[in-house]
Amino acid sequence: MSKIYKENKPITSEKLMNEFHRYQKGSITRRHFLRVTGLGAAMTVLGTAMPSLLPRKAHAFGNLGNRLVFATWPNYHNQVNLDEFTKMTGVHLQMNAFGSNEEMLAKLQAGGTGWDVIVPTNYTITNYVNLGLIQPLDLSRLPNYDGSANDPMFAGPATVNGTVYCVPKNWGTTGFIINTKKIKSSPKSWKDFFDVTMGAGSGHTIVHDYQLTTIGAALCALGYSFNSIDPNELAEVEALLIKSKPHLFAITSDYQPGMRSGDAWMSICWNGDATQLKNDLPEMDYVIATDGGEIWTDFYAIPTGAPHLDAAYVFINYLQDPYIQAREASVHGYAPTDSRAIALQPDSLGSDPILHPAAELLNGLEFGAAQTMTDPVRAEVIARFKSA
Amino acid sequence: MLKNEDSKPNHWLTAALLMPTTMWFMFMLILPLIVILIFSFGERAAVGGYAASFTFEQYANLPSRLKAFQNTMIFATIGTLLSLFMAYPLAYYLALRVDRRYKFILLVLVIVPFWTSLLIRTYAWIFILGGRGIPLMLEWIGIEGVRLVNTPGAVLIGIVYGYLPLMVFPIFVSLEKIDKNLLEASNDLGGTPFKTFMQITLPLSMLGVATGCMLVFILLMGEFLIPAFLGGGKVFFIGNALVDLFLQSRNWPFGSAVSVTLVVIMLITVSLYMRLTMRTKTGRDESLM
Amino acid sequence: MRLYSIAIYLFLYVPIFIIVLFSFNAGRHASELRGLSLQWYGKALANPFVVDAFVTSLVVALTVAILSTLMGTAAALALQRLKGTLRILFDGMIYISIMIPGIVIGIATLVALVTVFNFLNPLLASVWPEGVKPLKLNMGYATVIAAHTLFTMSLVIILVRARISGMDRTLIEASTDLYATPWRTFYQITLPQIFPAILSGFLLSFTFSFDDFIISFFVAGANTTLPVYIFSSIRRGITPEVNAIGTMVLAVSLILLMAAQYLLHARTNR
Repeated sequence: MSKIYKENKPITSEKLMNEFHRYQKGSITRRHFLRVTGLGAAMTVLGTAMPSLLPRKAHAFGNLGNRLVFATWPNYHNQVNLDEFTKMTGVHLQMNAFGSNEEMLAKLQAGGTGWDVIVPTNYTITNYVNLGLIQPLDLSRLPNYDGSANDPMFAGPATVNGTVYCVPKNWGTTGFIINTKKIKSSPKSWKDFFDVTMGAGSGHTIVHDYQLTTIGAALCALGYSFNSIDPNELAEVEALLIKSKPHLFAITSDYQPGMRSGDAWMSICWNGDATQLKNDLPEMDYVIATDGGEIWTDFYAIPTGAPHLDAAYVFINYLQDPYIQAREASVHGYAPTDSRAIALQPDSLGSDPILHPAAELLNGLEFGAAQTMTDPVRAEVIARFKSA
Repeated sequence: MLKNEDSKPNHWLTAALLMPTTMWFMFMLILPLIVILIFSFGERAAVGGYAASFTFEQYANLPSRLKAFQNTMIFATIGTLLSLFMAYPLAYYLALRVDRRYKFILLVLVIVPFWTSLLIRTYAWIFILGGRGIPLMLEWIGIEGVRLVNTPGAVLIGIVYGYLPLMVFPIFVSLEKIDKNLLEASNDLGGTPFKTFMQITLPLSMLGVATGCMLVFILLMGEFLIPAFLGGGKVFFIGNALVDLFLQSRNWPFGSAVSVTLVVIMLITVSLYMRLTMRTKTGRDESLM
Repeated sequence: MRLYSIAIYLFLYVPIFIIVLFSFNAGRHASELRGLSLQWYGKALANPFVVDAFVTSLVVALTVAILSTLMGTAAALALQRLKGTLRILFDGMIYISIMIPGIVIGIATLVALVTVFNFLNPLLASVWPEGVKPLKLNMGYATVIAAHTLFTMSLVIILVRARISGMDRTLIEASTDLYATPWRTFYQITLPQIFPAILSGFLLSFTFSFDDFIISFFVAGANTTLPVYIFSSIRRGITPEVNAIGTMVLAVSLILLMAAQYLLHARTNR
């Protein structure tokens, strides 16, 4: 990864022009040029001046208004990309971060959110479609999206009854992170995770404020499916969670601050957060549990009645640009589903065990199932656990 | 204006003066309460939300939130008392000891922190109590392994911080009304300062104390942010349970039942409390209200 | 006593100091200080969401404060003369609206209004003249103001009534005996005596509304108030931008306060 790319600073214009001349002279490859210069966004800015640079025709942005409201997850975007989008289009972003898909659903059901773009996970999409909460996408307005470049295993849920409702953002896994300076026993499974929580790590563990992952982890620890909605199995889960509650540091889906400050030693964790933590703190270790867990894809979707529809399309299209995707990934640390973006990433990432775990570990993971989102027992179990 | 109670035009005046308030009570209080009462006998719809029905199921499920109710009652009581003990001396000082010229500015300085969002102030406490704040300072002087954030103590600090001004105000107002000549007379008659305080100042300020305690207690019963931020999801109030029911599990009927129960509990607690304070207040007709 | 008061003021202002300090942070994270800069002020002021949220909060809080002092004072005066069942009924309402936790008011108002609006909107659309976009009832300014005012209005009634109960009635009687009109008695005798209560009611109402998060969170719809904006910003990792907003609000309040103090001073000196 080049230094500029890693440090995440927009390139200066002099440097950009230098690189551009080198590229024109052919002394560097296009790929190197794009990587060094901070890529797509800078190009789009230059698009009007140097249209030949753009892989596709520059859009006439038209009148997009000056705002866009956007519901997503914590630590999930590259601020440079967002700032450049604002600079380029004049559209300011209001980003609302959520801790669970259920919370997003609840807000959408109550109405009046004013959201233009949301980032839902695979298992929510059929629910959103059935409830009429998201709208079909007009792919002609997303020229940067290339369906054929996305692995159907990940991109499949975007299509419901033959209609495309979302485009993929990236995929990931749900495991747990440990601070190896504090936890020496190297837990390998969710069973170990709860044992350590109630043992050596007491008082220093975080679980998510999110039914899917927290109940899922407990289910795996008990030897059941991550997606179970069996009331008896969920009763056992409730007992396990309530037993472990006095030993927890916190119940929150925004666990990075706790892990960084050293207050927390272990947490249920998405692999991108693990990459972010490990980049700064080498003692962090990400574990995909041997007894199961989640594999997932997140998408971009537009809620029904989005107030700034044009801006929403331009924004999603911007984020589908392979270069922008690669630069997003350099910060959020998840693997893109788009092969064009993967090709732009540094080669070292391809063998990174956090991004691309060994096949036998991946095979044990499950995609979240749609019924977990609406199941009343799961909803009540997590709520009781929190109020216990 | 306050007399001539039987002259006719004044009845119209009374009615006119009360009209807007009445409208407000009808549409913003009675109507919503009726709706949640109806909802509390309904069922959770398959995907979440409300489905019409008539069942006592929601009320039967209430024991599952018993812990949250208990927590809230305990924290609200302790928090109210702590705020009272911290606020009274300050209110006393401001009302009776400070030069007239600075009174106003000092009083307003008490509520100026209110003008930055409670959210930001609570967030500042996360920093102060978190790993890089007080615990780090304690480490410098050799005390290690202190954890403050995500503890009941942190929640109490947040509560006192957030509600202190609300306690200071009514106590100040009641102390301010005391006739200074009365206090001087007591001193002249050889009363010790302590005796003057116990026999004159304190009884006369009880109205303010009672108002302040009631305000703080009531607001604490519905608190949600402070435990959510400073308790790390581990100190759970009934307010947190409610937010959870409406914004995560989407169980509107059960959430309505919890709300109705909370309102009933508050009505009972507060009327008991008022009866108590009224008795001690030697039968003064003008009560809190 | 004095030392104690200083300690309390310190307790109140240490977090404020930290907020102000970090608003000048050159770095991005709100938890480590990396040099001083003013960039976050520029960013906050250039952000239309911040400006919108601030304006919304200000409009809401001012409207709430004005409405509640007017209606509350009127009701407090009228209630003095009300007796019997009506009086008990009113007292009960005041009680209950003060006593109901904000979270319950927020939720109940949301649930009730969503239900009512869902019922009324198709009706409105059907009676609306052809070709004109029908009026659509929605959560917004009106709903937040109404929900806040329920609480603050009752607060004002209580404050004003407490003041009236401690008021010297002989003056009013004297005034009436001297054939002053009721309005004149009110203006010259009653109002000056209850004015401190009205003023503190106004201030408390404004402060309550400006700082309220939970009611607005449920009933403001897409009209984000400042606390709601800050809440959503904090959840994605607080940046010094939020501190800058807090500091600016604080600075404006302090300036207003000093202006008020100055005016008051000028009046007493005259």
